[in-house]
Amino acid sequence: MAESFAVDVQGVQKKFGSLQALDGVTLRVRSGEIYGLLGPNGAGKTTLIRSIVGLVAPDAGTVSVLGLRMPNVENLRNVGYMTQQAALYPGLSVEENVQFFAAVNGAESGVTDALKLVELDQRRKSVVTTLSGGMRQRCSLACAIVHRPKLLLLDEPTVGLDPQLRVRFWDSFREMADGGTTIVVSSHVMDEAERCQRLGLVQYGKLLAEGSPDEIRSLAGTNNLEEAFLRLAGTGAES
Amino acid sequence: MSGHRIGAITRRLLQQFRRDRRTLALLFVAPIVILALLGYMIRGSSSTPSVGIANEDQGPLGATLASALERSSLISASTIQASEGDSRLKDGSLVAYIVFPADFSQRAQSGTIAPEVHLEGSQPGTSVPVLQALQQAFASSGPAAAVHFQPQIQYLYGGQGLDRLDYFGAAFIGLIVFFLVFVITIVAFLNERSQGTLERLMASPLRRGEIVIGYMIGFTVLALVQSAEVLLFALAVLKVYNQGNVILIFGLEALMALAAVNLGIFLSMFARTEFQAVQFIPLVVVPQFLLSGILFPVSTEPKPLQVISDVLPLTYAVNGLRDVMIKGADLTWSSLQLDAGVVAAYCVLLIVAGVATLRRRIA
Ligand SMILES: Nc1ncnc2c1ncn2[C@@H]1O[C@H](COP(=O)(O)OP(=O)(O)O)[C@@H](O)[C@H]1O
Ligand SMILES: [Mg+2]
Repeated sequence: MAESFAVDVQGVQKKFGSLQALDGVTLRVRSGEIYGLLGPNGAGKTTLIRSIVGLVAPDAGTVSVLGLRMPNVENLRNVGYMTQQAALYPGLSVEENVQFFAAVNGAESGVTDALKLVELDQRRKSVVTTLSGGMRQRCSLACAIVHRPKLLLLDEPTVGLDPQLRVRFWDSFREMADGGTTIVVSSHVMDEAERCQRLGLVQYGKLLAEGSPDEIRSLAGTNNLEEAFLRLAGTGAES
Repeated sequence: MSGHRIGAITRRLLQQFRRDRRTLALLFVAPIVILALLGYMIRGSSSTPSVGIANEDQGPLGATLASALERSSLISASTIQASEGDSRLKDGSLVAYIVFPADFSQRAQSGTIAPEVHLEGSQPGTSVPVLQALQQAFASSGPAAAVHFQPQIQYLYGGQGLDRLDYFGAAFIGLIVFFLVFVITIVAFLNERSQGTLERLMASPLRRGEIVIGYMIGFTVLALVQSAEVLLFALAVLKVYNQGNVILIFGLEALMALAAVNLGIFLSMFARTEFQAVQFIPLVVVPQFLLSGILFPVSTEPKPLQVISDVLPLTYAVNGLRDVMIKGADLTWSSLQLDAGVVAAYCVLLIVAGVATLRRRIA
């Protein structure tokens, strides 16, 4: 292998009934980069991320993560996954939630670091039901990173966050990427795209275009990413 | 399999319950309320049974016991002739009569006290006070410890001579544990799915078997505490008749709890929402309640229903609990081996089914 890819998706197809959720997606994420999956609601971002972790079985095509064909349960030790909804145990405290996911991955030592990174170490004893939405998102992120995964998959992690918190989230993504973590992050907000090294534009289950933000802009012949996306999507339909 | 990760699941479950007061209340308060209500319904209105005493003893012991029985607060005793006893039972003026036969004192000298106890038998709740009164009279009259107390019991009408709570109590102990544990497991497992944490677990190195076993241990811990509580209440407070080994009863209850946990996990795979899960409850509980011999003996059911009864795990559990508690069965009885074996086999089957139906894939 000339270049090491953290994620290698080849021609993945997935149909739900008559709905083609993924229609021959091929993409590669390089080790250590932040890769943005951009697309409107229903484009297939979550389905794509689920097929990367092995939660969705592709009808056709292959997925490899960190050089190993998926599904591979042992390999999931190296993967962190933050689901689109903040999936937490509502009756447990912040710390108990993070501890649980640490234990599941055999990484109890990471709890304090993870809580510090998401700035929840002051609230570690708070029960999740008493937290604000933003705090829940942060707790959910802490659960995904507590075992220091090599590959971090974040499904719309900043939805519903206020602008300050959004900036802090992206700062911590940057920090983790600088530490060698590969990050795949989905978003339907274009202004977050600038913070990714490379982007994949998804619509109707297809990868419309791929490249750095600059490459995407020049491909579409515009200075504005949002505009670029609309042009590349052709019809310009976005929900 | 990693014990460490299984332990993590178990610990987390118990942590959740620590804060979930309502569920804890369901687990630990509901069984007592149900049993207490049942006990009150069945025994609440009991009056002291009328018992006839026929003393034909040529020695002194019969008279001593007869006067002790007349003083007993458990029964209201009256003197009768042995020959009129059966007709008094039939006309309902007595529920039991006791005969001290001519050789009563004589046989007592040779080591056996054998009064004849004739019970009406069809009326629940009467035999226990009669036998208790007799035993107390025997104890207070103070014969030598070496004497065997061997009442010769005869029923006018077949019956066991136990009251309804004794008969149902054994079954209800099992049923209550089975039902409550099943409900809580199915809902808890479904929550795991609907709150999205199952998706997270499936994207972790956890094996499916580890999840199922972790759940099983967590709920079994709760179920065992509940079983112990229910058993203690039934035996110590309600004084449900028990001839058998308490450890054996507890063991059967634990097996039922295990089956209930795994049935809950298994069925939760087929429910998408909590509402759907709730619909499983009558589906699972009502047929078993009606067909497992709790209310009507399986042998009196129409043949097609007997076939169904014979495949329900609760049928075996109920039968086993009754054999232990009422007949004093132990593990040397082949019927009890069968009952315990079938319930245990169901546990294994449901664990396998639970693991097999738990999908890593969402689609
Ligand atoms: N488990 C599923 N069953 C049926 N349809 C699904 C399922 N998951 C996703 N879909 C459908 O697939 C399409 C893509 O969904 P998704 O991947 O969630 O999009 P995105 O995350 O980009 O908003 C949507 O039309 C959605 O309704
Ligand atoms: Mg999505």
